[in-house]
Amino acid sequence: MKKTSKETFNLGLFVIIGMAIFIAAIYFIGEQKNMFDKTFTISANFNNVNGLMQGNNVRYSGINVGTVKNINMINDSTINVELVINEKMVKHIKKDAIATIGSDGLVGNMIVNIIPGEGSAQPISQGDIIESYTKIGTGEMLNTLNTTNENAALLTSKLLDIVNSINKGKGTLGMLIKDTLVAGDVKLTLENLKHASLEANNTMLGLNALIHKIDMDNSVAGVLLNDTTEANKVRHIISNLETSSLEIKKVITNLNETITNIKEGEGAINYLSNDPEFAKQIEESLKNINEGTKKFDENMEALKHNFLFRGYFKKLEKEEKRAEKK
Amino acid sequence: MQKTTHLFKSFFIEVGELSYFAGRFFREVFSRPFEFKELLRQCYSVGNRSILLVGVTGFIIGLVLTLQTRPTLEEFGAVSWMPSMVSISIIREIGPVIIALTFAGRIASGIGAELGSMKVTEQIDAMEVSGTNPFKFLVVTRILATTLMLPILVVFGDAIALYGSYIIENLKGDVSFVLYFNKVFNALEFSDIIPATIKTFFFGFAIGLVGCFKGYNCEKGTVGVGLAANSAVVFSSMLLFVLDFIAVFVTDIFFEI
Repeated sequence: MKKTSKETFNLGLFVIIGMAIFIAAIYFIGEQKNMFDKTFTISANFNNVNGLMQGNNVRYSGINVGTVKNINMINDSTINVELVINEKMVKHIKKDAIATIGSDGLVGNMIVNIIPGEGSAQPISQGDIIESYTKIGTGEMLNTLNTTNENAALLTSKLLDIVNSINKGKGTLGMLIKDTLVAGDVKLTLENLKHASLEANNTMLGLNALIHKIDMDNSVAGVLLNDTTEANKVRHIISNLETSSLEIKKVITNLNETITNIKEGEGAINYLSNDPEFAKQIEESLKNINEGTKKFDENMEALKHNFLFRGYFKKLEKEEKRAEKK
Repeated sequence: MQKTTHLFKSFFIEVGELSYFAGRFFREVFSRPFEFKELLRQCYSVGNRSILLVGVTGFIIGLVLTLQTRPTLEEFGAVSWMPSMVSISIIREIGPVIIALTFAGRIASGIGAELGSMKVTEQIDAMEVSGTNPFKFLVVTRILATTLMLPILVVFGDAIALYGSYIIENLKGDVSFVLYFNKVFNALEFSDIIPATIKTFFFGFAIGLVGCFKGYNCEKGTVGVGLAANSAVVFSSMLLFVLDFIAVFVTDIFFEI
């Protein structure tokens, strides 16, 4: 009897553990399907659900938040997809969220992705219909890829042509690549260029040194270039020069007028400078004066020898001699 | 020609007798008195004593299945699908069938031999004379025990097989227990686990039924006992696959997957 009760205990343990494993498995599967959480329902309308089925996952920003509850055809082009969302997520999903249908990996199950909206709208509530956006499916993607491939094929064949012609040395590029003469020329040119650039470099260095040598602060150029007060002075001078030149101009004009007056007018100077008759008369007068002075000289000699004035002259002579002795 | 006809005839007779036997079981199972203590004893010997066998079998199935499948999936770069693939194949098909087969090997032959020797040594007749209903005491308890114990053993075996698969994934790849666990339960659906569990009840019933039938109808002395044990295993194993096909077929219709 004791053995039997032990056996019964073991049996009970075995059965309970087995049942527990089974129930746990059921629970975990149910939990994946949000069966034991509080949920609320929202929906979205699509034109094409790409094979979405009841029970497919719903993701919000990549987190599993619920499942697809129902898929109903509303009219010939609109499909309403009801989504069961975990109650905990209600405060995170806003009314402006967008639902899209995607696939989990390239060949995985279809899923509904809810993407957060841009703005900060109110949190979503029971029964709301959110915006949807139908992504291109794999088929359309493959179609696009097909066109892309065709284009790529065309492109590569063209490229092949180009490369072939280059290889044969056709065209500028071909010549550049294939022609050795041109290559030599180019090499030479490049060497010359190198040389030239070296020279230019040297020149620049020299210039640089020269510029450094110029004492910028104290030289004329430096003053001219740098000193603002001097510049003002120079400006002043220049303005003075300008006024002076204006004055000079006036003077010259006046002089010009005067000269013109002299030339054409009837003043004394004009008479003096322009009348030849008058010059002759002056000459004659001068001759007459010359003769007159000569006669006066003779008269004076005669006077010296006159007794009346002899004494005066002798006295003058004596005084002169005394001055010499001293 | 006559031989073939005879073969067919005996087959149909066998199936017919088995059906009668099953009908008798259903009649007796709901009628008093219930041999409850004997049922528990049978459950213990059928269930608890098979744990080691089922555990080892399940563990090795998990290891081997993962090891064998991994290279192929690696070729596709789909190693991350290993947990889902292995869990679905184990839970849906391999676990129930393999565990039921080993169970059949152990239990059906045991029951066949036990009841057969009882029949041959006329213990069953003696029991009938002493006023105990031998069908109720021997057959009903055993069939009930196998029917109730096999599902639990399969759950055990599945769990151990998945653990074995996890060990390989963990050694060969970089899958933590939590990730493996999450992937498994993410992949599993109720439509995987419920039909698979329901069909194990039928497997258990079939194993018990065939074992009891073969033993209960044992003839030809001690030679017959060996024959009964042998044919119990063969017939129950075959019946398992037939039932499995029916179960999968029905599941396919109802769950549309």
